[in-house]
Amino acid sequence: MKLEPAIQPRPATRITSLLSGSRRKRGRQGLWLVPLLIAILIGIALALQTEQFLSRENLFNLVAQAMPLVITAIGQMFVVIVGGLDLSVGSTISFTTAILALDAPGYVLIPAVFVLAALIGLTNGLVITRFNVHPIIATLAMQYVILGFARMLRPVSGGTVPELVISSVAGSFLGIPMPVIWGVVVILIAWKLLYGSRFGLHLFAIGGGVASGAEDAARNFGIADRRNTVIAYVACSLFAGLAGVFLAGRIVSGDPNVGLLFELDAITAVAIGGTQLSGGIGSLHGTVIGALVLALLSNGMNLTNISPFVQTAIKGAILMFVVGLQSRKKMGL
Amino acid sequence: MNAALNHPILRRALSIPPSYFVFAMLLFVLWVARPHMLNLNIMGIFIRQIVPLGILVLGQLLVMRVRSIDLSGGGVILLVNYFISSGLFPGASLTFFIAIGLATGTAIGLFNGYMVARRRVSAVIVTLAVSIVLLGFVQFLSSGKPPGDVPAMFGEIYNTRWGPLPTPVLFWFALTGLMMIFLSRTVFGRYVASVGESAEAAHFAGVPVERTVILAHTLAGFIAAIAALVQTASIAVGSVRVGLDLPILAVAATILGGVVFGRGEGGVLGPFFGALSFALLFVVMTVFGIDEPGKLIAQGLIILLAAIFYGLRSGNAN
Repeated sequence: MKLEPAIQPRPATRITSLLSGSRRKRGRQGLWLVPLLIAILIGIALALQTEQFLSRENLFNLVAQAMPLVITAIGQMFVVIVGGLDLSVGSTISFTTAILALDAPGYVLIPAVFVLAALIGLTNGLVITRFNVHPIIATLAMQYVILGFARMLRPVSGGTVPELVISSVAGSFLGIPMPVIWGVVVILIAWKLLYGSRFGLHLFAIGGGVASGAEDAARNFGIADRRNTVIAYVACSLFAGLAGVFLAGRIVSGDPNVGLLFELDAITAVAIGGTQLSGGIGSLHGTVIGALVLALLSNGMNLTNISPFVQTAIKGAILMFVVGLQSRKKMGL
Repeated sequence: MNAALNHPILRRALSIPPSYFVFAMLLFVLWVARPHMLNLNIMGIFIRQIVPLGILVLGQLLVMRVRSIDLSGGGVILLVNYFISSGLFPGASLTFFIAIGLATGTAIGLFNGYMVARRRVSAVIVTLAVSIVLLGFVQFLSSGKPPGDVPAMFGEIYNTRWGPLPTPVLFWFALTGLMMIFLSRTVFGRYVASVGESAEAAHFAGVPVERTVILAHTLAGFIAAIAALVQTASIAVGSVRVGLDLPILAVAATILGGVVFGRGEGGVLGPFFGALSFALLFVVMTVFGIDEPGKLIAQGLIILLAAIFYGLRSGNAN
């Protein structure tokens, strides 16, 4: 079997490389400058079209609207880098809001949400790594199971979520709006996981092997590929659970359909951010920018009164387009 | 566990598609719980309801044999349903509707095939995105409201029967037979099998891999259009939600039938019984009063368990 080098020298991942741009064109970070330019262009266009776009309130509102997608996309990114895909995050978000709207105190519900989310990820990861099930099939099946549970708990939207959850996303702390704080904390955690830990480095190594058709490459270098893959799926579900908590605080109730098609938005955001869906290449900043591009787009489409149905179609077309731009050798799934 | 799995009798049992076991089990449950339901007239009506699914499965098994997947069936069904029920073509004949439906499905299938085989885009992403684009498109055209009524001629054909069996059921049986002959007796059928085994080996053996995949997707789109016509005839009204869960059920039935990404032990009959199992499953669940969330969970678990069943075997073989 042909073994391509799966582990490349660790790229500079400090802030300096962020500022100096993508000198390493086919490096591990992927093309993230392009979406940044797109985001800036959309921002300028929106600022020119509507005066209130650049107002403090609208910008903070935009952050609050984008946050669930940013968090979910970051989670999805871990799985995508390792060469997988998680289609169950949308259902996990719905399920989380349904749990939070149960009739129980917040100190029970909030830990319960994360335990259950971790369990979902653990099941995904174990089914994929131990039973050789294709990630898409495993998570697609899981999507239906979790959606069923969410609808069982809460057939239609309603109920109220704990006060703690509501207050954690509304208002501000030291003059900084809470959604911004959420964003900073989540990004810092993800940064530490992806760039500041052995785990993150191993994700790139495993994904690089998968992408170049040498699935065993990382294992041959002594990386616990199965365990790290499972952890990536657990992280993905935990981030989805976090996004669910944020959303529940925003809508103040449980809704079994709130996460519908969210997984596709998350995948689109990851793909826009330059992360290769075949694995091994990707970046956190790209993913965040990708999510912001999508959020700006829907903000812009709302401001220009485009029908929500057309917005659905446009989002589908964008997904197809950005994924279509990525070249890969493998055919099929 | 590995030693146990290697036992010849168990290996033999494991090579039978799970759909046969599930079908027999559900039949037994129904026989115990509601024996009077097990007659041809009543079962005919239940089976008639899943004919669109059964037809969609025929396309799904084709693309899954070449290691791809087609989740765009829901969008095709919506669009064809919209064409027929919206009054967009007033006074058009049955042949016209059938022709435009089939042409739509084929075109979408061709697009899927091109994107998957030539552009090498992930089949899940492409076909899901196609489905979403079509969903948004149809909802926009109809402003989110059900469009209108389906011309009566569809219902008239749909409600006829041949002896004890409804026409749609017989039509499905006939299509299944055709697909069996097509896959086992034609060159294209051999191509499908070889691409499924190993695309690389097939390529070096002179099989036009890309063309085979494109053709498989095109045929799947064509078959999805047939399913859409039957589905439209069955609900008799326009809808902006019809058939959205059918593609995933078709995937479930196909996996249950022993056709998983390249592996085609189930042939055409395995997935056929997979679809029949779902017909029985819905009956059994209704009998036991399990509602929609329970059905979702059951669907998901069936896909998961069937996939694990195959994963265990392939892991074992390595």
